[in-house]
Amino acid sequence: MNRWLAALLYALLCAVTFVVCFPLLWAISTSLKPKEEIFRWPPTLLPERFTFESYRELLFGGSAASAPGAGTPPSDFFLHWFANSIIVSVGSTVISITVATLAAYSLTRFRFFGQRAVPYVAIMGYMIPSVIFVFPMFLTLVELDLTDTLLGLTLGYVCITLPFCLWLMWAFFRGVPLEIEEAALVDGASRLQVFRQIVLPVALPGIIAASIFAFIVSWNDYLFGRVFMNSMELLPLTVGVMHFFDGTHVDWGLMMASSVLMTVPMAILFGFMQRHLVAGFGAGAVKG
Amino acid sequence: MATLISRRTALGSTLAVTALSAPSIAQTRDRVARVWGEPGPYVGVFTNGLNEWAQRNAPGLRFEAEQIPWDQVYTKLATDLAARRPPALISVESPIAYQLAAEGLLEPMDEVNRNIRAAERLVAGFTVDDFGTWKGTQYAVPLHHQGCLLVVQSDAVQEAGLSDPATWTWQDLLNGARAIQQKRPGTAGYTMALGRNLCGDYHVQQFIWAAGGLTWDPARNFETVFNSPATIEAYEFIKELYATMPRSAVEFSFLQVVDQHVAGRTGMSAYWGRTMGRAADEAQPIFRNMEYYLNPRHPGTGQSWSWTDINGWIMPRRNNAFIRESKEAIAHVMNSPEWMARYTNSLFPNVGPVFKDTASDAAVQRHPMYEAKRRSVELIFSGYVPKACNSGHELKRGINPLGGIGHGRNVWSQVAQRILVNNEAPRAAVEWGHRQFEDIRRENRRLIE
Amino acid sequence: MRLRLTDRQVGVLFMLPFLVALLLFLVWPIAEAVRLSFVRYNPLRPEVQPFVGLDNYRFVLEDPLFWESFHQALIWTGWSTFFQAVIGVGLALLLHQPLRGINAFRGLLLFPYIVPTVVIALNWRWLFNSEIGIVNHLLLQAGIIAEPVAWLSTPDMAMASAILLNVWKYTPFVVIVVLARLQTIPTELYDAAKVDGAGALRRFRDITLPQLAEVLAVVVVFRTIWTFNKFEEIFLLTRGGPGTSTYNLALYAYDQSIANLRMGVGAAAGVLMLLVLLVASFLYIRLTGFGREDRAA
Repeated sequence: MNRWLAALLYALLCAVTFVVCFPLLWAISTSLKPKEEIFRWPPTLLPERFTFESYRELLFGGSAASAPGAGTPPSDFFLHWFANSIIVSVGSTVISITVATLAAYSLTRFRFFGQRAVPYVAIMGYMIPSVIFVFPMFLTLVELDLTDTLLGLTLGYVCITLPFCLWLMWAFFRGVPLEIEEAALVDGASRLQVFRQIVLPVALPGIIAASIFAFIVSWNDYLFGRVFMNSMELLPLTVGVMHFFDGTHVDWGLMMASSVLMTVPMAILFGFMQRHLVAGFGAGAVKG
Repeated sequence: MATLISRRTALGSTLAVTALSAPSIAQTRDRVARVWGEPGPYVGVFTNGLNEWAQRNAPGLRFEAEQIPWDQVYTKLATDLAARRPPALISVESPIAYQLAAEGLLEPMDEVNRNIRAAERLVAGFTVDDFGTWKGTQYAVPLHHQGCLLVVQSDAVQEAGLSDPATWTWQDLLNGARAIQQKRPGTAGYTMALGRNLCGDYHVQQFIWAAGGLTWDPARNFETVFNSPATIEAYEFIKELYATMPRSAVEFSFLQVVDQHVAGRTGMSAYWGRTMGRAADEAQPIFRNMEYYLNPRHPGTGQSWSWTDINGWIMPRRNNAFIRESKEAIAHVMNSPEWMARYTNSLFPNVGPVFKDTASDAAVQRHPMYEAKRRSVELIFSGYVPKACNSGHELKRGINPLGGIGHGRNVWSQVAQRILVNNEAPRAAVEWGHRQFEDIRRENRRLIE
Repeated sequence: MRLRLTDRQVGVLFMLPFLVALLLFLVWPIAEAVRLSFVRYNPLRPEVQPFVGLDNYRFVLEDPLFWESFHQALIWTGWSTFFQAVIGVGLALLLHQPLRGINAFRGLLLFPYIVPTVVIALNWRWLFNSEIGIVNHLLLQAGIIAEPVAWLSTPDMAMASAILLNVWKYTPFVVIVVLARLQTIPTELYDAAKVDGAGALRRFRDITLPQLAEVLAVVVVFRTIWTFNKFEEIFLLTRGGPGTSTYNLALYAYDQSIANLRMGVGAAAGVLMLLVLLVASFLYIRLTGFGREDRAA
């Protein structure tokens, strides 16, 4: 490639990357400022004095702002919320992926009535606005006595992630050739053996892409968490951090520090799996 | 490969089991009575008092405070009542108490009020009924009060050569705001919330009442009377006043008004006690020059009113397993001068003491803010009380359960937004609001019959 | 495991969990939503649910706010999708270049897709704060604006800010899909065109674009539907304000259900959204050619 063109492209890439990353860089910068510097005008681009105060408050508790004996400040729940989010996101991802993988395999390898319609019903399911079924679903959970439990929230997330996972896995399995499986079956392997030993390894990129997707959706949700959950120590992160707005006071340092901490697990996950994401989505997933 | 997968499966199932078992772990604890309150430390302090009672009298019972942001009260209420697990106790501003009482959802509290001699102890200007009596039954126990007042930076007033804000009418307020804006370029003269939120509703209503308008008239079978000339006049005045406010006031809620004032970006604002508290914590120079006044009088009616959080304890009646214990625990805390003083001091001067003995308690009067701002604090604690009313008790003409429903819909602030954001004529916008209020009345007729 | 299952039984067994989940968590709640849309349901009094026929639908269709929300949802969806598609294709082309270190750029540019909505909505409120926001500060310093812009306080700017947020967060989705498709275009096509003397622009128009057309159409339909339904972005950024200028249908349904204590009306609004969605899905299925997939496999 022409050297000048390459330089131009790099410049363009850097500019775009800067604009895209700026909101997060600014969040990091804000989270590292001492409280009095956060509100200064004109604002300082980089903290004049670095402090990990906000992070310390979130991770080790002991908010300076709380009066003695005044109940637990919301920041003390941060680690609870974090753990909750991990539990429900991992839980719903595992359930969704397991169920979707089995079903998608069945759909592409067996013949039965209504087979071709299932993926389309599923994808329509994913397009249905969650605002429609969040309340009916809540009422269902009431009947099952699962409101304000992590299990209830996990099931709620299964309901929003499962359809799209099925769709992704279905698209993926369609692209996996049948020959090896058939050969193995002819050689006397059972269907379950084939599934475990031949199909799953091949489907791994698809499974990873769908898992990332399911994890992102569960981790990012706000609406279900807000409606289903109640107890402070059982909230997911997204709903919990909104407690840092206490009506008359918002601690932007805490807010931004928790933003950063909420994004970190996603960033790590993403760093490892980025390659598979493109591959997984590329396998005709949105192509039909 | 096979072993790899099985390890992965094992990991997956372990996590799934953890996810499934976590809720059951959470449920094998003491009996927990949940206590809802506004954001802020005060519910926590009161709850500590409730727990003192529980430790002595009800082993295994624990009260637990939950802070409910103002705009989430309905989400929480609706979902928790539907889930048949209401909180044991709710600290709530009275319009919601009136609504829930009229819906028949609350436990009568006459007994508690007798046990704490509430009627005798209340500060002058309040009655127990103000907190949530419906058809002769008391459903609320007085807890605290907060009235919205005029917060002024006296240095700004002096610089602009203005008269004593205690004597002001609307016109003086407007002129004063303009003068301050001129003297201090880049800052606002006056700031109020005009966003589509509760704070906007509250701030707008004060002006309507001062002009002599109201939303429903309890004296005339709760007829909707919003579209009166007085209401229109109030909105026209707000429109004029908006020129002295930050442009973004149309998205302001509680937080932004306080931020604006404490950061020194406005000469005056409408707010409750919290502005003083935050200034004392974060901005001493602002605090030193800060004074509170009654809201400016309407030049014609001579009236001045404060939107007041007339806050009491209410108890959901159904599916509430803690009724008896909670009642006793409340009485225990409220009969204790120490706990009540601690409650008042927990977020000074935000939670106005409802009892005379608390207001005159030495522990309260020794608070540094009380000593530094005696006049303002006494106004906040008791001076303004005769001017206290709110959406469910407009102009103190009678308790109206429709006020609570109005809260959820933010009609008052939406009318202001239609005028300021969409440039609608005040009369037309008020007519729109009138129709919304009429709808509320029609839909909820059963509450007022 | 010594259990003998016929092949067919395995197939059915594999499907079963999915069908149960589908029934329990999709079909049932939607049936319930449809039922709610025909009753009056005050969430404070869930035990009283009188049947009201079509009253809820009548209420919604006669409510100017519903139509206003519908209109605004179209604006928000239209612009968001348009920018996502255009910027998405542009970025995908850029990221498809065989440059050293391109993988790092890919990672950074796809990153917004995984940032939680709560995080980005809060960040936006902080960045675009009209009084102390960094965006205003930078623009003022650069001399682009003369006085602070009230980003979230005027109807047009609030809508623009919301669209910007949506574009920022979801363009990576378009990039991912387009990039995946670009990687499957045979390079011979380009080589042949080069030999024929076609310039870069011609090659893009004649080769890249037609190859992308199908996947782009699908992505646009997906993004349109998803954006149309979005609740959290707007709820957390503007709550539909100022006024009701950024209200959309999801917010309308939510506010009716909870804030206005009219669960039935909220459900009716939801069902109407569902109908809009069915039309869009039909379009999608036509685009992708339902029933042709056997040949594709």
